This record gives sequence, C-alpha cells and structure tokens, in this order.
Amino acid sequence: MLASSSSLADVLFTLGLGLLLARWLGIYMAKVFQGRPTVLDGFFDPVDRVVYGVLGVDPRRAMGWKEYAGALIVSNAVALVFVFLLLFFQGGLPWNAFHVQGMTWDLAFHTTSAFTTNTDYQHYAPESGASLLSASVGLQMLMFLSAASGLAVLVAFVRGFVRKDGRIGNYWSDLVRCLTRVLFPLAAVGALILIFAGVPETLAQSVHHTLLGGGFEVVPTGPVASWDSIEMIGTNGGGYFASNAGDPLQNPTAFTNLVEIVMMMLLTFAPPFLFGRMVKRPNETYPHLGAILIIFVVALLLLFYFEASNPFLAATGVSQNGGYFVGAESRFSISESVLFQGISVYGNVGATSMSLGSLTPGAQSVLLWGMFLQCAPGGEGTGFGTLLINALLAIFVGGLMVGRTPEYLGKKIGPAQIRWAIVTLLAHPLAIFIPLAVASVAGFSQVAAGPGSHAFTIVLYEFTSESANNGSGMGPIGDATPFFNVAGGLIMLFGRFVPMVAMLAIGGALARQPDIPVGAGTLKTSSVTFTLYLVGFLLIVTGLLFLPVLAMGPFAQGVNWP
Amino acid sequence: MTAARPTQTQAVGATVSVRRDAHTSVGVVLSRSLAKFDPRKQVRNPVIFVVYAFTFFTAAVWAFPWLFPDIVGTSSFSRSFYLAVTAILLLTVWFANIAEAVAEAQAKAQADSLREVRAGLRARQILPDGRQRWIAATQLHRGDLVEVRPGETVPLDGDVAKGGAMIDESMMTGESAAVVRESGGDRTSVLGGSRILDGTIELRITSEPGTSFLDRMIQLVEATSRDKSPNEIALTLVLNALTLALLVVIVTFAYLLDFTSLGLGTVNLATLVALFVCLVPTTIGGLLSAVGISGVTRVAKSNVVCKSGKAIEAAGDLDVLILDKTGTITVGARLAVQFVAAPGVDPIDCQRTALLASLLDETPEGRSITRLATLRGVRLEKLKTTDVKAIPFSTARRMSGLVLPDGSEAMKGSVGAITDYAGTFPAELQLVADDASRRGMTPLGIARGKQVMGLVLLKDVVKPGISQRIQELRTMGIRTIMCTGDNRLTALTIARESGVDEYVAEAKPETKLKLVALEKSHGRLVAMTGDGTNDAPALARADVGFAMNSGTSAAKEAGNMVDLDSDPTKIIDVISIGKQLLITRGALTTFSITNDVAKYFAVIPAIFIGVQTLGFLNVLQLSDPSTAVLATLLFNALMIPLLIPLALIGASFRPMPAVDLLRRNLLLYGLGGLVSAFVGIKVIYVVMTMLGYS
Repeated sequence: MLASSSSLADVLFTLGLGLLLARWLGIYMAKVFQGRPTVLDGFFDPVDRVVYGVLGVDPRRAMGWKEYAGALIVSNAVALVFVFLLLFFQGGLPWNAFHVQGMTWDLAFHTTSAFTTNTDYQHYAPESGASLLSASVGLQMLMFLSAASGLAVLVAFVRGFVRKDGRIGNYWSDLVRCLTRVLFPLAAVGALILIFAGVPETLAQSVHHTLLGGGFEVVPTGPVASWDSIEMIGTNGGGYFASNAGDPLQNPTAFTNLVEIVMMMLLTFAPPFLFGRMVKRPNETYPHLGAILIIFVVALLLLFYFEASNPFLAATGVSQNGGYFVGAESRFSISESVLFQGISVYGNVGATSMSLGSLTPGAQSVLLWGMFLQCAPGGEGTGFGTLLINALLAIFVGGLMVGRTPEYLGKKIGPAQIRWAIVTLLAHPLAIFIPLAVASVAGFSQVAAGPGSHAFTIVLYEFTSESANNGSGMGPIGDATPFFNVAGGLIMLFGRFVPMVAMLAIGGALARQPDIPVGAGTLKTSSVTFTLYLVGFLLIVTGLLFLPVLAMGPFAQGVNWP
Repeated sequence: MTAARPTQTQAVGATVSVRRDAHTSVGVVLSRSLAKFDPRKQVRNPVIFVVYAFTFFTAAVWAFPWLFPDIVGTSSFSRSFYLAVTAILLLTVWFANIAEAVAEAQAKAQADSLREVRAGLRARQILPDGRQRWIAATQLHRGDLVEVRPGETVPLDGDVAKGGAMIDESMMTGESAAVVRESGGDRTSVLGGSRILDGTIELRITSEPGTSFLDRMIQLVEATSRDKSPNEIALTLVLNALTLALLVVIVTFAYLLDFTSLGLGTVNLATLVALFVCLVPTTIGGLLSAVGISGVTRVAKSNVVCKSGKAIEAAGDLDVLILDKTGTITVGARLAVQFVAAPGVDPIDCQRTALLASLLDETPEGRSITRLATLRGVRLEKLKTTDVKAIPFSTARRMSGLVLPDGSEAMKGSVGAITDYAGTFPAELQLVADDASRRGMTPLGIARGKQVMGLVLLKDVVKPGISQRIQELRTMGIRTIMCTGDNRLTALTIARESGVDEYVAEAKPETKLKLVALEKSHGRLVAMTGDGTNDAPALARADVGFAMNSGTSAAKEAGNMVDLDSDPTKIIDVISIGKQLLITRGALTTFSITNDVAKYFAVIPAIFIGVQTLGFLNVLQLSDPSTAVLATLLFNALMIPLLIPLALIGASFRPMPAVDLLRRNLLLYGLGGLVSAFVGIKVIYVVMTMLGYS
C-alpha cells in the first residue's frame, strides 16, 4: 500500500523540519516587524536608508489603513505596468537568446497580473515564452515584491490588534524590511543549497549537446536555482520550466524535493508564530496553527489515500504497487509527490510536481478544497490573514454564545470589522462562480478537454486557482485565449487586492479601538474547544459555498471514498 | 439613633402585573402577522424578503406555466409541485411574521402594565378647603398638599409643611437608620418613595411627577423601529452577506448546469429556489427582531425600566459592578447579634430584660432581639397583654420598653438615653459599646428599673443568599466592588461575609464617581447601583446606571435603568437577560448554519438524482426527489415557529467559564442543529410518504 514505514518517516521528518524552521522564522520576523534589532541590521540598515532616500519616504511615520492600502496599490501598480511593458516589448530587448517574441497584450496582462498577485499562473511556456530579461528582471522582481507585499499586509493587519492609535505601521518600512531582512537572505541561502544539490545557476540560456546517436540537442537553462528558491519561499509557484518542479533541472533529486517542500513551508507556516509574538500572546499561535494542521494533515492523508490506487484501474486487475503513478514523477515516491503537491496547493504556492489533471477525482477535490479554504495554511501573509478574518467571523458567532458582545484579543468585533470580513468572505466565491457561469454559458469553457464533469473540474480549477492566487493549473486546457487571459488577470487582481484592502481596513478598525482588558468572562481563544470550533466553522462555511460545484465536478466523476 | 418603632401597616406599594389583554389575543396576533406581508415592511428584513420575492416566482410558474416553457416543459416535476413550494415559502414568511407579531404583542401588553404603575401610587390630597381626597400620584402637581400617615409611602418629593415623623429612607438613601423630618428648620425635605414609620405629616409637593423615564420605557417597548445595537447591526450584516453569497451560488449554479456536455439534464428551477430558501438563514433571520423585542420586554417584566435597548446588551458585557453596602449587600436594617451583660449581672437576666423590653416591639430590630434571646434559651413565664403596658418609642425619649405587672420597667434604647434614664452607665460596658460602634455595630443599652443590665449589639447583616449571587457574578467574570461610608473594619467584615472582590471604605459622595471613572479608564464596562442624588453623576457616567425607583429623581434621570421594586440585586437578573439576548442570537445563528449541512445532503441528491456517482451524497436515503425537496422546505419553515419560544424566553444561561459555555452551546445548538435537521427532514419525508404524497 501507500505508506511504507520509510516513506512515512520521510513525510514526518520533512513536516517536522518545516514546522521547526517556520517557528524560528516566525519569531524572527516578529522581531523584524516590531522594529527590534536583528543580526542583519549592521549590513542592511545602510541599504534600507538608501532605499528610503530614493523613495523619499519616512519609514518611522505610522500610516492609517487607507494610506497604507494606497501605498500598497500604487507600488504594485507601478511594478505591474513596468513588467507588462517588459513582456510586451521583450522581442526587441536584450538577453533574448531564443529570440522570443513579445507577448500579446492579453497574455502579457495575464502574466503580469499572475506574478504581481503572487499567483504565478502561467499561460505561457516559460522556456519559449519569456526572455531571460523578462524572467529575471521582470518576473523574478515581482516574485519578491508580491511576497513582501503579502507579508506587509499581514503584519499591518496584525498590528491592529495591538495598536490603539488607529495606525497600522509604515508600508515602505514593512516592505523594505521584509525584503532585506527576510526574503533576500532566505532566497540566497535557499539558492545556494539548491545549487549544491545540482540545480543549475547560470546566465547562459541554453546548453548544447551532441547526442550519442548523432543529432543535436538544445537544453534551455539559466538562473534556475535563484528562481526556484524565491518561487518556493515566496509561495509564488511559477516554474522556470513548464513542467515546474517535475522538471529534472528544477527538482533533480529526492533531496531537492525535500528542500523545496521545506522552503514552501517556511513562510506559510511562520505566520501563526509571528502572530502570537506580535500580539504579545504567544499562546494565541496554537489555535490557528492547530486548526491549520488539523485541516492540512487530514487533507494530506486523503491525498495519500486517493493517490494510493485508482479504483477503475484496480478493477481491471492492474497492479498499482507503490501507488497510482499516472501523472506522478516516477523519480519520486507517491508520498513524496503528494506531500509536495499538498503543501504547494494548500499553501497556495502553486508549484506543481504532478500532472493534476491525471490525479484521481478524489485527490482533485482535496486540492480544490484547499484553494476554496485559502487558509490552511494559505499563501504567505494573505493565507493567514484570511484565517484571521474567518476566525473573527467564527468568534463573532461563537462569542455571542458566551453572552458577551464578541471580542478577540481585547478588541470588540463590531460592524466596522464585520463589514470588511464579509467582503473577504464574498470575494472568493464571487470571483470563481461568476466567470465560471459566463464561461459556461458563452461556451468559452469548451477549451477544456475531456468528458463533462472532468472538463468542468478543469475550468473550475483554473478560476479557483486564480482567485485563490494559487497558480497551479489543471490540464488539458487551451487557456491562452483572450477570454481566459483577461478574465484570469482580473480574477487574480480581484482575488488578491480586495481581501488585502479588507485586511488593512479591519486592522485599521481594530487599531482605532481601545484595549478591553481580559476578564474571567472573556472567551479564551487559546483552547482546544475554540480550535475545534474554528475548524468546524471553516469546513461548514466553505462547504455551504462550494459543495454544489464540487458535486458537479470531481464528485460526479466518481470518488472512491475511504 | 434608635431602633424601636411603632407597629406599621403594610406600605402602599407600586406593583406591576402582566395583564393578559387584547394585544396578546390570538386574533390580534394573527391579523398583525398578516399585515406584515406588506412588502414595504418585508424589505426591512432582507433574509425573509428574498424568500418572499421567490414566492412570487414559484407562484407565477404554477399559475402561468405557459410563460415558462423552458422550465415546465422539460421538467419531471409536476405543476402541483410548484404550488406546494409556493405554499411552503408563504408559510415560511408568515411564520417569521408571527414571531415578530407575538414579540410585539408582548411588548405592547408590557407597555400597558407600565402605564398602570403610574396609576398605581395614590395619595391623600388636602384640598384648599381642608377636605381630603384620594387621587393618583401622577395627578399631583408642584405645590399640592398631601397628608401621609404611618405605614404609607410618600408619593413624591416634598417638604414637610406640618408635623414631624420618623421616616425610613433606606430604600432611597441606603441608610438603614430612620431619619426624623419635621416642619420648619432645615430638615423638611422628604423623598418620594420613602415610608413614614411614626407620625403624620402634611407634605407640600416640590416636584412634578417624575415619570419621564417611564414614558421613555413605554416608547421603547412600543417602538416599531427599534434602534439596533452595534452587535445586532453586525449580525444582520453577516446574515445578509450569507444570503447574498448563497444567492450567487444558486444563481450561478443554475447556469453552470448548462455546462457543455455535462450531461446532467435540466434541473427543476423550483428545486433550486427551494435549495436557496433552505440554505439562507431563515431561522435566525425570521426570529432576530423577536429576540431583540423580547429582551426589552423581559427586562420590563422583571419590573425594571430601561431607557434604551443598548443598555441591556451592555449589561451582558459588564466587567465591574459597583454596589452599595447598605440595602444591597446588607439587609439595611440592624439586627441583634450579641448580648453583653453588665459587670455583676447574670447574663440570663440581661437577656430576659432585653426580651421583655422588646416584647411588644414589632420593628425588625425588636423582633431580632426577641429571636436572639429565645435562641439563647430565655423563656418567660406567661404574661397577659393586659398586665403589661407598652412604652412606645418616641423621638423625644429615644427609648422603648414595657411596664411589667409589678410596675417595674424594662427599657432599651441608645446608650445615651439609657445613661440618662439610669443616671449612670458602667464604664466597662461603655468601652464595649464604643468598640462595637467602631466596628459598625449599634449598641443598645438595656435597663430594668434604674439598673443597667447590659448591652445588646445590633448589626446590619449580610442579606441571605447575597454571597451566592456575588459568586455567580464572579463566575460570569464580573468583579464586584462594595462601596460604603463605614469605617475600614466594618467594611472588611461585610466584604468577607459577602464575598465581594473589593471594597472601598469611608467612601465620600464623590468616591463612586471616581471609582467609575477609574474602572472605565482601564477600558472596563462598569455598572453601578445607586439611588441618592449624590450617586447621580456616577450613575450617569457608568455604562449601566441602575437606579432605584425609591431614589431621588436626579438619580433616576441619571441612570439608564430604574428598578421599580428598588431591589439593587436585581441588576444580576438584568445582566442575565443581557447575556441571554446575545446567547440567543448566537445560538439561533449557529443552529441555522448547521441545519444547512443536512439540507444540502437532502436537496443536492434530489437535483442530481440521475447521477449514479453522486449517490453517496444521499445519506438520508430519500428516494423521491420532489418529496425530499418539500420535506426539507417544510422542515425549514417549521423551525421558525418551533423556535419562537426560545427567541422569546431566551436561551438558558448558567454562570460558568466562557469556554465551557461555548462548548456547551456549540454542542447544544451546533451539533443539535446538525442532528435535528437530519432527523427532522427524514421524519417529515417518511410521514409525507406515509400520507401518500409523492
């Protein structure tokens, strides 16, 4: 069956290592964003000062939420326009060994949106669709910026719980410190490890071989390790190669597979620890971490189960020793592939090491479920922000049941917070269902191949992945069309910035409130009861919104339930 | 100060009774519920309004099927199915209307009984020509003259124009000792609500009937458009958002079913409407306003007048409660706790004399002395009432007692009076008396003939059951602070006995205000009880100012709640009602949402009845799709009337730690909602099948 003791130990070791490092990182990041001294200050403080000087900003001035949101949107918009132009005109720009043409406007829009929103959905083939200049100056820059933006928003949101002056911090300071203190160092270390493990890092854009049997082969290459590193750490997920982490140059060995899994876990699992420290109540880490782990581990177990064997194949008597390998890399065990894919989708990284369209319908539903939730653990920053918003809603309903107007960490949850929380709650289903209905009625969905329910799953997966800013795709679908490019680009921007603005607004509303002291009548949120309640709340609310489409898609294909 | 008082008759009190009247009759409620079908009224509640709107759609499909050829022509559902769906949807809306109508009817009945309160208090007016007549206190005006006799309640604030009296102001000022008020001089002011113990006075009314708070309460319970609390606004937002999200889910679902080559066949639109109506939180949506109205009504029913609905919710949130000692924590009357015999006097003789001196004294103090002596084993030889003569208490003598058959007198009175009476007072006993005074007790001297026999020590004792209530408050997470003008030692004693968390001794009039301000500056929600004019600023500053009806009108105006029974401990009931209000809202919301899980598993299989692979969703094994849909809709509709009692009475609240309360209510309403929906839908389905519907 699936879990031989060695592969189980492999999985547990990887998860344990990831969590341990995420804990260390979360605590370190809390220090960074509280403005406390860190070991890297001596080197990076002068760098920061130069950046602030160039931008002409005062990093010490705390902003209200509207100003913070304005700075976020302006900086992201400037980057978006810059990279759009880069992609559109790349045909005439240098560092273009393969003479890649400029992207069409719609494809450039989709690609820029994808990388600005940390989605990294790729409607283009990386090897032949983007020049080295586009990739390393344009897209890779966005990979850093989007990761830093996500974390900055989370940090500002969390500050709402501790501040009382209505201000939530300085965007520029958060952004720059996130880049210099967190992302650059982590990405550098990650890239070095990958280089030593055999991932190429070169400015050469291809390697030429003469084949043994005669003939000639051009293997595209480039600064893969540095790309790969920020792809995983920044939960971006866009591959340097089309087959992403399934490509032997991007993920050559079981060791790099493990390293990449741990890299994906770093910033997705660090936020609960960051949160506990920043609100100065370290115990508040655990209900959130607990809820995330309960959902994530159950999802992994289901994935293992569904990928252990395909019931239709089993019925024909074909041996599936070691698992159902269709769509999986034969270089890795099923448990290794599933672990990679599980964290990649549930952490909204979106990197793929399997062919998702070939998975069993059960596994496909599990992956979709993770993107419906977006918060177990979800993408860096925004995933945990979404969890916090869900927690606020859960506390609002549950808190009433203890006979007090609901409060969390000493802040009342009133109409101001609820108004924005429901915006987040509504944004995701709206961004998925409306384009889905349009695509379905207008016939655009015909580009998805396969029988009805499977084709439906593919289109559902595409929009869900875009709205959740995940970026993984399920094929086969010819989605590089103007409709899918424009709709997808808009969905990604909507699914990214609407919840972000909501998070900042909630942070601002929280920060305007005085602290309510914790009394004996206050609901203790760092408790098992609350953790389980949060899990139940997430599952029921998500189920209410998404059960019908799950039924039409993967369920209708036939799921072999445990 | 002295304790003995003449016998009193029962005071005239204001009582409130809930009258079954025209408002709550079935006919009135039904007609009001039908009037609520007016769309202009429905639109105020979006959750129910969308159900109402869909009723018209299904009705149209049933009535004019030719207008909807796409739906009816291809459907496997009969036309009567649309009629049934329409009927159940109407029923759902109607049930929500009934819930609101019942709650409003109760409120109206309550408002009527509040009006009675004003009419309840009567006074003996002295007309200019000297004649007297009984009129309602509400009809008195400034300058009117009234006569008040022993045992009667002073109708309104006034000045004594003639005569003098011992007056029990404990209900207003909290001071247990009676005060003397007489005409002339600076002790003429009498507070409305106080009780005459001894003496008859003529009173000139100095205030207009202070009923403005009553009027406000009546407005509050009768108001058709209540001012919603922030919490109710936020919950409404959540419910509306959930409704909107589900609308998007269902509407897009209808289009997704057209998905190219999905091969699922056409789905009946009424089924989708039914699914939507089942899923929107109609239970809480239909009952939400009833919950709010009933909160105000229940507070009013417990004889508490509150000036805003928000104050009730604030009561549920309290962190700190500041309580007066006298009259709140203690009974407010001094009771005998100890006898001290004079040197060389047999303790039994001392007790016997005290008993004799109090034999005909019917005041709480006198009775408490008799009780204590009897408890100590003192027995008297039979005495005929005709043989003895009472020496009643008078303000002049400050003593009372009994002339025994042998002509000797048994007397009790203040130490000073007894000293005057006996001509001397043992120094040792004087020390004991002084020490007792310091500890907050009242020493009374006892004398037989001219011999001082000893002391009886009286003390303001802690009310029975108060420590349990304070414990309840602690379990709710509310800190209690006792505020008293007594010295530290007395305060400490009472604080220990009652179990309050903190106490402030030697409090000055402004201490309460400082205390309220201090607690509020830490972000806590503070309540305080009070009745004196001194309390008014603090009552106004507190989040919940709980004033006594017997208090001064300044206090009543300052507070946001007034207790008509002048029982300060009733604030605990108000806190419970506030908490129940919130719990009920949360419970019904949770119940609504967990119900939905079962509804999905009943209706989705009915939509995909032909799809083999989705058979696993049909956990309830409902084989006939249209019956399944109708059973689910019916269950959904029936939940509203079934839960009306919960909405009106409120979810139960027992003080316990918040996490335990959450666990308990999650199991009760969360899991309960999940299980009851699965069971309920299945039962209705089976019954419908048995009745031959399919």
